Amino acid sequence: MPFDRTDPLAAFLLRSPLGILVRGVARIRTSVQHKLLAAFLLVTLLFIVMGAFGVYTHRRVSQQTDWLDEAHRRVDLSHQLQHSLAMQMHLTGMALIVRDETALANILRENNRFNDTLARIEEQAPDAERQIIQKIRAGQEEAMTVVADIANLVRDDKVDAATNLQLTREDPLYRSIDGLVHVVVQHEDVRMATLRASIDGANRRALIVVSSFAVASVALALIGGFVISWAFILPVRAADTFLTNLAASRFSGTVEVPNRDEFGDLAARLNETARELARLDADQRLTADTLRAVNVRLEHASRAKSEFLANMSHELRTPLNAILGFTEMILDELYGPVPSELKEPLADIQTNGAHLLRLINDVLDLSKIEAGRMELALGDYAVEDVVATVRASLRSIAEDKGLELVTDVEPDLPIAHGDAKRLTQCLLNLVGNALKFTHEGRVVVGVERLGDQLRYRVSDTGIGIPPEKLDEVFDQFRQVDTTTTRDFGGTGLGLSITKKFVDMHGGRVWVESELGKGSTFYFTIPLQVERAVRT
Amino acid sequence: MSGKTILYVEDNEYNRKIVRQLLAKTTYQLREAFDGEQGVAAAVEHPPDLILMDIQLPKMSGLDATRQLRNDPRTAGVPIIVVTSFALSGDEHKATAAGATAYLAKPYSPRALLAKIREIVPED
Repeated sequence: MPFDRTDPLAAFLLRSPLGILVRGVARIRTSVQHKLLAAFLLVTLLFIVMGAFGVYTHRRVSQQTDWLDEAHRRVDLSHQLQHSLAMQMHLTGMALIVRDETALANILRENNRFNDTLARIEEQAPDAERQIIQKIRAGQEEAMTVVADIANLVRDDKVDAATNLQLTREDPLYRSIDGLVHVVVQHEDVRMATLRASIDGANRRALIVVSSFAVASVALALIGGFVISWAFILPVRAADTFLTNLAASRFSGTVEVPNRDEFGDLAARLNETARELARLDADQRLTADTLRAVNVRLEHASRAKSEFLANMSHELRTPLNAILGFTEMILDELYGPVPSELKEPLADIQTNGAHLLRLINDVLDLSKIEAGRMELALGDYAVEDVVATVRASLRSIAEDKGLELVTDVEPDLPIAHGDAKRLTQCLLNLVGNALKFTHEGRVVVGVERLGDQLRYRVSDTGIGIPPEKLDEVFDQFRQVDTTTTRDFGGTGLGLSITKKFVDMHGGRVWVESELGKGSTFYFTIPLQVERAVRT
Repeated sequence: MSGKTILYVEDNEYNRKIVRQLLAKTTYQLREAFDGEQGVAAAVEHPPDLILMDIQLPKMSGLDATRQLRNDPRTAGVPIIVVTSFALSGDEHKATAAGATAYLAKPYSPRALLAKIREIVPED
């Protein structure tokens, strides 16, 4: 099936006889350039032939017109002959009456003119006329002898004899010559009529032939143009339909054209491209399927890991909870008095148990955040409450270290929206760290409103952080160096968790620090957090 | 004489032991149940003065049990403290939504638990 079935114009065209021509032209095994050139040459040739025929016709007509003109001239000359004859007769009469040499001389002059005219007629006369002209010349010469005789008689005063000669010889001679001239005139008239008819015929024929040529040339040019252009347009349309399909990711179609020219090559290239695209598409689909399957497996694995961690931490915490509970009850002397030497080791059990519990909680939080399963419990909260909770939780630690714990919350802050529990956890981490790394001085917890943002700030007068480490402090399990973990305790996860929770609130956390002078941790979050940001 | 009764629904033996020992020196009477279904049955049979409900329980979760008790006219008015897990964010919301009077996040200190109990049902 050549060309596209869905192209109604192409389908209609191909059912018509012109379609066969179009297909035929398309099938010619030569380049588009040569096809176009051939078409233009064909049309040009037709116009050249038509022009040549026109020139030929014109020349023929003009030759016949020339002949007609000559015939006209001969008729004119013949009339002059007749006039000259009349003059000769008249002058002969005059000579007889006036008996004057002048009159005789006039006859001779008239005779000369007659001969001249006759010679001019003879120049271009057809053969049939030449015999008549010979007869005329013979008659005229005879008439001149008669005129000479008459002249002699007149000079001898034999007027009667002269008059007789005129009547008996000269007059009949002139009449006979006049008759011959008349024959020539008639001859020419016939010839002129024939020429006129011939010219008319030639003109008519030329008109018909030139018109036919013109009509044929125009028709041929139109058909040729139509056929050749459609032989090119159809493959272009087919290619267009095909490319539209390709653009819509339908790679299965092919473009089939009868052309054996550049368009045929183009169609072949397009089909190759489509095959290649179909192959790539199939590959890509296969890869996507594989990736999807891998993704599903990974998701399952990740969920399994997350669930394992959640279950594991629950399992870890349950006995730890019991250990901490029993220890607290022993220290509370629920079971009776505790010997003083046991109090310190029991307190150590409690401290380490609490640390282990924090570690477990932090690891669980982080694994949940990374599995994308940490949800924010968004609700209205008062910033003052968050700060008060943190202060209440850590005041005793600050007092134990002899540090000042100062709060500096901007008054009249509006009710905010967010996960107060997680924000409290963030602030606890920051303030806890600050207290941990500060040996003397104070820790300030501040909150300011900046437009639609809240900025939390925790500054200390502690050991500070070296500039090159500033970027790393929020990474997991990073403390400035491993010895700090040993000296100061902590899980190394607090800042990472803080950063993740701040990120989930759509906020930003950063630190400014000077080694030996202290650090200030900041985080900003929107006053109204409408939904958690997936990180 | 016998004081107020507290029903503790908890599957972990040591946790039950802690509460048992914690309340031994008080006037509270402790009854114990090991899973959600048993807890609901015990509460409905003899409504206690307070129910202490762990959130993760075999057979029926603490939340489902709380909901069921709230819908039962015999136990609808009994205060329930749900012991939530710190690990599972949003448990507090769920506990309150299920009808808990109060919640206590695990790990809790026995001292804090006793204070909470005394706050809701004062000792005789």
